[in-house]
Amino acid sequence: MSSPDWIVLTVTLLGIVAYGLYKSSTTKNLDGYFLCNHSVPWYMVLLSIMGTQASAVTFLSAPGQAYTDGMRFVQFYFGLPLAMVVLCITFVPVFRRLRIYTAYEFIEQRFDLKTRTLTSFLFLLQRGVSTGISISAPAIILSSLLGWNIFWTNIFMGGLLVIYTVSGGAKSVAYTQQLQLIIIIAGMFMAGYMVVHLLPEKVGFLDALHVSGKAGKLNVISSGRDEHGFNWKDTYNIWSGLIGGFFLALSYFGTDQVQVGRYLTARTTGESKIGLLLNGLVKIPMQFLILMVGALVFAFYQYHPEPVFFNKTQVELLAKSKYRDSLITLKQNYDAVQLKKIAVRNQLDNGTIRQGTPAWQDSQLVLREAEDNKTKSRATIKRWLNDKQVNGNDNDTNYIFLRFVVDYLPKGLVGLLIAVIFLAAWGSNAAALNSLASATIVDFHKRFSKKDLTEKREYDLSRWYTLGWGVFCVVVAQLAYNIGNSLIEAVNKLGSLFYGVVLGIFLVAFYLKKVGSGAVFVSALVIEALVITIHMLNQYGVIGLSYLWLNLVGALGVALLAWLINPLFKAKLA
Amino acid sequence: MINDKSSNDKDPAPIFKKWSYWYALVIGVLLLLIIFFYFFTKQFS
Repeated sequence: MSSPDWIVLTVTLLGIVAYGLYKSSTTKNLDGYFLCNHSVPWYMVLLSIMGTQASAVTFLSAPGQAYTDGMRFVQFYFGLPLAMVVLCITFVPVFRRLRIYTAYEFIEQRFDLKTRTLTSFLFLLQRGVSTGISISAPAIILSSLLGWNIFWTNIFMGGLLVIYTVSGGAKSVAYTQQLQLIIIIAGMFMAGYMVVHLLPEKVGFLDALHVSGKAGKLNVISSGRDEHGFNWKDTYNIWSGLIGGFFLALSYFGTDQVQVGRYLTARTTGESKIGLLLNGLVKIPMQFLILMVGALVFAFYQYHPEPVFFNKTQVELLAKSKYRDSLITLKQNYDAVQLKKIAVRNQLDNGTIRQGTPAWQDSQLVLREAEDNKTKSRATIKRWLNDKQVNGNDNDTNYIFLRFVVDYLPKGLVGLLIAVIFLAAWGSNAAALNSLASATIVDFHKRFSKKDLTEKREYDLSRWYTLGWGVFCVVVAQLAYNIGNSLIEAVNKLGSLFYGVVLGIFLVAFYLKKVGSGAVFVSALVIEALVITIHMLNQYGVIGLSYLWLNLVGALGVALLAWLINPLFKAKLA
Repeated sequence: MINDKSSNDKDPAPIFKKWSYWYALVIGVLLLLIIFFYFFTKQFS
């Protein structure tokens, strides 16, 4: 990275830490530390909700996803607006009326202590580990691409935010998220503008979209059907997005303290609702635009040499392996085909080759051959990386966007976009630390402590728990790097194993008033075992089911089983 | 946890008369987006 990039990166990151500390004054009690004394206006609730959901991987992965698989990933969010409506009708008024700190307090009031403790424990387990991973994943990418030391990258990715999160609690989290999101959106718009700007003179924005569209990258809507009927393994289609995405969003925003803690800080119930509803309005267009940057990067590489594999470190690994000579031959052939493709593209765009002529037919052949050559070359590289002797990582999706940034964007903007990755990580991780601390103190320490705690003592303990979770998450991030990608992928799916069941408990609490604690507790345990079994069968290829559907199975499974077995518990009591 | 019944969960909806109009707006925009995406996919495929 150049000096201007370092200056932009350092100033942005230190500026955020300073701003977080500047806004850190709160009343020294739990209301001030976790709920900002209900003083946050609706627009900050909106930005806080968005900043919490958008992690670093969102901005690294989404453009890469569009580049490789097209824009159909946006369908994943189709259920989110529907979930926002259900939350505003059912969840938010109850949470606000009870003046709770954590969503799990409501569960004790409706059922009993053991069900509250179970849901809060599942939250701490899943959120604690996944926050560690969400520090590690972007740190690995940045350290690999820029040659940074992974230990220090993890420390900066997961450590600096702890300073203002411990100091100001939910208030610092909300204020910094506001500024972070403005910088992130500005950075992504600049990146999108630069992609189009760097295209050849005669190729405009719409031309670039046509190039991407012809390659199948603008497939925003897909039905999920193939020649055998509906494909249950297909993760991103309109049905899995609307139904599976609805249950996932309802679970994430309604039962995950990381989000509940954000909208509980609003001044009034109405402002909590407006924050959520506006999130339902803007989330899909925002995700659409981020994905479009990836589709435009694809168009860009039709006029510029496209790397055969975007993760440089893995190519270097192959260059040191037994595949060294084969790699040199493959790259020579690949580069020659790429140059031919670029020449043909330019001839087509400047009108040298006219449609319908024999030269045009030849040009189409060259473009097809280039695409085939790319597919085959990438498949060969992935096969080599999967060789046990090489032991590499064959997934370079998350490297595509950042590789483009580092290779082609001007000085200063590279630093800003790397800052965007840090800020996105900080926004979601700061909210996670705040929510982990609130569940620890409220659902465990205060609930099980036999001593009465003063307000000041509760406040001090909350700060210590925030610090403790910060250290825990950085340690998990360091361990994740040492253990490798297989574990990271497994942990990323951890959420979908628990989310559905926890949502099921909340749905019973809200909608099945006659069902008691015994039935819901047993149902939660049974359905959790079922969800894990389905996941294992899926992993071993016995059945084919996308993970999004596990949320539906978990939520409806708990509700249905609890309703069915409830009479047995009533009879036992009688 | 305080069961505060006085806390107003019947805040008036801003801009519109009722919250149900807000819900209709969110669902309506979702439908419009899906229709737009359908034609976008068709246009550029």
